[in-house]
This record gives sequence, structure tokens and C-alpha cells, in this order.
Amino acid sequence: MAANWIWITRWIAVIGLAIGALGIISRLQAILSRPFKQDLARPRGSIRRGVLYAFTLGMAPWEKESTRLHWLAYFRGIFFHLGVFAAFAVLFASPWLAAAPGWLLWVARIFTGAGAVFGVAGIPMRWIGENERNLSTPDDYFAVLLTSIFTALAFGVLVEAALLPIFYLATALLAIYIPFGKIRHCVYFFFSKFFFGLTFGRRGVIGQPDAS
Amino acid sequence: MTDNGKFTDERFQLTDEKTAIALDVLRKRLNRQLDAALEVCVRCGLCADSCHYYVANPKPEHVPAFRAEQLRKVYRRYFDPIGKLAPGWVGAAELDQEMVEKLINAAFGTCTMCGRCVINCPMGVDTRQIIRTARAMLTAIDMTPEGLKATVNVHLEAGNNMGVSEEDFVETLEWMEEELRAELGDASIKIPINKPHARVVYTFNPREVKYFPYLIQAAAKIFNAAGEDWTLSTESWDATNYGLFSGDDEASRKIASNLEAAINHLGADVLVMAECGHGYRSQRWEAENWLGRAYPFKVMSFVELQAQYIRDGRIRLDASVNPKRVTYHDPCNQARNGGIIDEPRYILKHAVMDFVEMEPHGAENFCCGGGGGMLSMTEFAKDRIAAGKVKADQILATGAEIVATSCHNCLDQLDEIRRHYKLKVKIQNLSELVAAAIIWPRQSGE
Repeated sequence: MAANWIWITRWIAVIGLAIGALGIISRLQAILSRPFKQDLARPRGSIRRGVLYAFTLGMAPWEKESTRLHWLAYFRGIFFHLGVFAAFAVLFASPWLAAAPGWLLWVARIFTGAGAVFGVAGIPMRWIGENERNLSTPDDYFAVLLTSIFTALAFGVLVEAALLPIFYLATALLAIYIPFGKIRHCVYFFFSKFFFGLTFGRRGVIGQPDAS
Repeated sequence: MTDNGKFTDERFQLTDEKTAIALDVLRKRLNRQLDAALEVCVRCGLCADSCHYYVANPKPEHVPAFRAEQLRKVYRRYFDPIGKLAPGWVGAAELDQEMVEKLINAAFGTCTMCGRCVINCPMGVDTRQIIRTARAMLTAIDMTPEGLKATVNVHLEAGNNMGVSEEDFVETLEWMEEELRAELGDASIKIPINKPHARVVYTFNPREVKYFPYLIQAAAKIFNAAGEDWTLSTESWDATNYGLFSGDDEASRKIASNLEAAINHLGADVLVMAECGHGYRSQRWEAENWLGRAYPFKVMSFVELQAQYIRDGRIRLDASVNPKRVTYHDPCNQARNGGIIDEPRYILKHAVMDFVEMEPHGAENFCCGGGGGMLSMTEFAKDRIAAGKVKADQILATGAEIVATSCHNCLDQLDEIRRHYKLKVKIQNLSELVAAAIIWPRQSGE
């Protein structure tokens, strides 16, 4: 009976992931169908260095005043996202978890457990902070809650394998929601960072030798 | 209509036709870059402290993401499937009278498009682009604040934004030429006008012609000392382009193309922009994109050129002429939005005895509050001066007696800040300090 449940819910997860992937592809198609604004001005700095900086050192906590000042929010976000990535790793490895080495399971437990805690912490932080509360929509709370539940269930699966069917159902729900809610920032992040590096690298403001 | 009740005029009333026009502007401007900027924000609010409005008056409406969110709400309502189906869930909103008022206050009233929030955003959201799009939409439906609208219109009609006649322009140049000859006792000094095939064409901010002619004299002294092959054009000489601030690409294009034509007619190699932050940004970084073609000539800032003259030994400076402590205010459109960060420091290290940085500086410098066309929008003057408190505190902490800068809007705003916050400092253009320190060739026996 339990094996049947796992089989059924696993397929529900696969279908959910497929729907989510289609939604993401549709979002990608939408942005790629828009014109790319060419920059005709002569470059002052290296575009390549600017883009490289945007995706590497530019994300370090000490590089921006905003993250230096709000290090708690920054690290909450970092651990939350690491937890989410770990949860996806658990998901894709779920049919073979029994064969995984013990130390790896412990690493996954730490990441998903911490990720879930830091994820849920985002809800009160968003509510308590006046600025964040004013900016927030129901989607903001739902998205972080859904992702935190998914991450918590990944942790749960590593502790109690019987939670696997629930984890698969949560996966389906999350995957289907990704293209519709704020979680879709995972798609636009790469575009935004690339354009940031492109613009400010070209102008010689970021990522250049002797430039911050 | 707005918080300060200044926009009660009929032209600020939204109609169905205006709604359609504004949305059409948004539709047409939706490129990949803008789409990404509208979609990627996670509303973390980390951008708050990067804005001088917020630092001076920390309220949610002053958070950059909050301002951008006003346009995002409209975008979601009309361009996103979920925003159309469940607007309340994702915070989508109709473009109605209330939203237009919010957009005016957010885009024109409390944002200088300085880009400090962009540099500080963990996601790289280009809020400048969002705000300029909101301004473009409002300008398309004739809801630009009066002063900014008039500045653009005067430029389009008269060829410069203060309506200076060619006669007055030429007379001022001749007068400054005489003054400089008298100052240096050198009758060979020239301010060349419409000289064909000169290497460099220089531009002015009309304020220099009308109120600060001594800055023309300073520039002429530097060019003459460097032995530059330079000229000025009577066809088009205004360095400014307030189309950048109104978001009106058509006006921006027209203004930029007038200057382009003048440089091409003279056959110059280099267009040198006066010490005017947005003028530099407009011509150096935006104009070719507005026009859809690359310039056959190079565009550079007078700040870059002065640094080059010093580096190449074409001008020599005596820093002891400027013994007072000097700090430098980086104009946002030159530093953060244009990469000119090292050059002013190089200049000041040669031109003054005691240079001290304000903190933060360079790409992280705070906007003084005079950007974004704010000085032309008197409706928002009170907030502008209040936001200038951040800059006043920065200046005060340096202990400087002189604040140097290289932008006219900054110069005016810094002077207002000086008076309002009772700072015992003098505000000066970089070229003034350089011109004063020049070792004139005759004095050095050359």
C-alpha cells in the first residue's frame, strides 16, 4: 500500500514538475520575445568583467552597503536558498536515498533543516518590518510559506522516509506555482543580474580593475 | 491631487484616452531589460537605506522598491496573466486617477533616478529604468510637472533650455575673452567660435552663460593653457537634455540630434561636455541609443579632459593656490552612471593642497538631491531640501571648507543645502579650482 502511494505521488510530482517547467519555458519565451535594447555607446569598461562581477563577487555580503547593513536579512536569504537547493537535490535523489552515504544525509539534513527554519523566519520578518509589510502581497507570504514547507518536508524525508508521499505532493504544488507567483524571480534573476553587469560594466563602474 | 496639493490642474485629470496612451507607452517600452526589472523584485526592502529620501525621512513611501512597485502594479494588471485573473493576490492595480497620483509622487516627486538603489539591490533591479518609464507614461499624457515640461519645451523651441539668444551667447563669449586676456595679460588668448575642423567642440550649460560666466572663463583658460585646438558652436551649444528626466525619448532624440548635427557640421573629433552630470550622461551614454546610430565623434566629459591634460603635462598646476580643505561630491550621472570616479580625484590631488573624501563616495556616493530634474520641479522643493540633509551631514563630517563638484544641478542643490543647513563651506566647480591653480606658461618662462 505504502509503495503504491509513493509510486502515485511520485508521478504526481513528475507531472507537477513538468507543468512547472512548461510554465517557466513560457515565461522565458515571453521575455525572450521582447526586444533586447542594444547599447550603441562606446564602452568605457569591460562588459565581460562587469557581468562576471555581477554573478560572483558582486553577490558577496561585503560588496553592497545594503547587505552590509542588513546582514541578518542577507544571511537569512542565503541559508533559505541553500536549503531550497538542497531540498531539490533530495527530491531528485529520493528514489535512491537508502543508498546514500550517512555523512551526505547529515549534510542534507543540516541544509534543509536550516533552510526551512530560515524560510519560515521570513514570514514574521516580512510582517514585522514596516517597509516589507507595506511592499508585500498575499503572494509574498504564500510563496515563502510554500517553499519553506517543501524544504521542511525534504528535511522530514531524511528523518522519516514515510513522509515521502507528502513531500512529493508538496513538490507538485510548488512546481505548478513557480511560474505564477513571486517564485518565478528564479527565472528573471539571471536576466536582471546579466543586464546589471552589462550596463555598469560597460560604463566602467563595476568589476573593473581598481573599481569596486 | 498630490500630498502637497499642487496638481489640481485639469491636465492632471485622467481620461480613458489618456489611460490608453499611457499603457501604450508602457507596452512599447517593454524590452527585455525593463521586463526583467519589473519581474525580478522580491520586495525584500534592502534598497531602503540606499535612498537619500529614505535616510533623511525613513517612511515606507521612500523605499525605492515601493516607488517601482507603483508601476509594477500597473504592469501586472495589464500585462501579466495572474495580475489580470487575481489582481489582489499579486498586488496588481488599475491605472486610475489614484494610481496616476501615486505615480507622479513616486516618479517625479521623490526619485532623482540616481541609481544608488540599483547598485545596492541584491537582485540588480534597475529602478532607474522603471522610474523613467513611469515618467515617460506621465509625460505622454501631459502630466509632467510644469517646470520640467517648460524646460524641455524651451530647449526644443529656442535651442537651449534657458532661451539664450545667439546674440547674447556670442556677446558673453566675447566679454569672457576680453576678461581672460586682461587677467592673463595675453592678447593672443582666444575663445574660438564656429572654427571648422577644430579637434574639440566644447558645450556649456546655459546657466553658465546667464549666471556663471566666470565658468566659461575658467574653461577657456584651461583650453588655452593646454594649447587645445578647440571651438564653440553657435548652432547648438547646450550640454543639457532634460528629456532624460521627463522620459520623453522623442524630445531627448531631437535635442541630442541638434548637438550631433552641430558637431558634424564643424567636423570635430571630440565633443566635450561641460561639467554637467546629466548632460554628460545624456550625450555619452544615452543619445546614441535614442538616435539609433553611433556618433562618428568621441564624447567625453570636461572632467576627463582636464585629467588628461594634467597627466600629459599639457597644463601644470600649483596646488598652493588652493590651500583650503576640499572635498568632492560625485555627481550621480558622472560617477555611478558614467564611470568617472578616478579622474576628479586625480585632478584634485594636483590642484588643491588638502583633499579629503566624503563617506561614502564614488559609485556609492549619496545623491545631493538635485538630480532627476528636481530643481526644475519646484512643487517638490520641500522634500528635495529635506532629502539633502544626508549630503549636508556627509559634508559636515569632512571638515572641508570647499565642496567641489562637476555638475550644475549638483552645484545649485549643494548651494541650497549650504544655505538651508547653515554649512560654512563654499561650493565650487572642479574647473574653477583647476583654472585658479594653472601655472600660466608665461609665468613659468615658457
